[in-house]
Amino acid sequence: MNNLIFLFIFVPLLSLILLGLNVLLAVHRPDESKVSAYECGFSPIYGQTRSTFQIHFYIVAMLFLIFDLEILLLFPIAVTLYQVSTFGFSIAIIFFIVLTIGFVLEIGSGAIALTNFDQPSYPINKEKKL
Amino acid sequence: MNSNNLMLTIIGLLLNLIDVLAIILPVLLAVAFMTIIERKQLAAHQRRVGPNTVGYYGLLQPFADALKLILKETVIPSQSNKVLFYLAPISTLVFSLLGWGVIPFGQGLALSDFSLGVLYTFALSSLGVYGVLLAGWSANSKYAFLGSLRSTAAMISYELILSSAILIIILLTGSLNFTTIIESQESVYFIFPLLPVFIFYFISILAETSRTPFDLQEAESELVAGFFTEHSSVPFVFFFLGEYSSIVLFSCLSAIFFLGGYNFPEVFLNESFINLQAIVLGLKTCIFCFFFVWFRATLPRLRYDQLISLCWLNLLPVAVAFIILVPSILVAFDISPY
Repeated sequence: MNNLIFLFIFVPLLSLILLGLNVLLAVHRPDESKVSAYECGFSPIYGQTRSTFQIHFYIVAMLFLIFDLEILLLFPIAVTLYQVSTFGFSIAIIFFIVLTIGFVLEIGSGAIALTNFDQPSYPINKEKKL
Repeated sequence: MNSNNLMLTIIGLLLNLIDVLAIILPVLLAVAFMTIIERKQLAAHQRRVGPNTVGYYGLLQPFADALKLILKETVIPSQSNKVLFYLAPISTLVFSLLGWGVIPFGQGLALSDFSLGVLYTFALSSLGVYGVLLAGWSANSKYAFLGSLRSTAAMISYELILSSAILIIILLTGSLNFTTIIESQESVYFIFPLLPVFIFYFISILAETSRTPFDLQEAESELVAGFFTEHSSVPFVFFFLGEYSSIVLFSCLSAIFFLGGYNFPEVFLNESFINLQAIVLGLKTCIFCFFFVWFRATLPRLRYDQLISLCWLNLLPVAVAFIILVPSILVAFDISPY
């Protein structure tokens, strides 16, 4: 058997053994306040979890998909740069130009800016000019 | 004849087990000592003594901590998804420990030295995000949920910088195999020609392991402990071990990518039977572990929008520029490093 496959079996087993040790050795006396959600000493307010969240997290994930794919598409040319030489490299440059235009558009449309546009993150002292 | 075959199979399995244990046990020990190194070094930065009671110089402190945590009660919140609640810490630990499978500790001293080692490491570090995401979702607590969102967005953003830095290394070596990467650094370590790449690589691994100044998911004043707020005892140990294992793993990877792995100057070559290569790799790893704690002691935490805009608006354009610059130089001067 391949060593790596053995590692894939061994490591999950190790973690299960540790969990089993905990089940065997530790006490289990749950009570109502122990198993309720952690809320800084107050009793939890129902309906605050798994609510809506800022769209920016989702946009960052989508942008990650595109750019990670782009970088992974470049791995073949990184490995074979000396076989494909100038021609292959010029194709990669064209690929990059297209992507850069897209990236500039993304930045320009403010997709990545996480700051609230009503309140700039840096202090602008407009009043002081008066 | 049949029993002979059975014996051979059992001996083969035992040899496999010894191989795996020879990697995993030192890794777990290294992770344990990484925690004590962090506490001792932070103490030294702040001119304190640090833990010094358990064992000599507090060396047994991590083992005492682990024992204490194993004996603690596991509290499972009543509103959580039970299966995912256990699955998240297990997957974090498993994916960070599996990464050690392809690290060569010396010439031919890897558990599996296969040709796509770098891609394997990438895949596992990407899968590490699932532990964070599942933990935040399954705990069904608002702190854990917000912490996991922040962490996930930061980790996937900085993974881009990490993979583009490694892409540049691949350009210089022409192989995805770790041993080839190390052997192509025999004449010069990549940190010298690629110093700017190393800088943004190191920033990205700080964010990947969510260390200061990028430890936004556990900004204590805002989010308690981030995505593992609700996890206690052994599930918490898994997150803790996973985090420190990935710190040591990424330090080891930086040593391999930028400091020449197990290479060392030929003057130190000797005839003794001591495997100097593994020791050299360990020392180089220690340098990066030291950096991790040093940054924690020195730098203040970023704000979350600064974290994301630093990645997308500053680091990513620089990384893309280097991806174009390095092969341009290689093609223009017709240099073939391999």
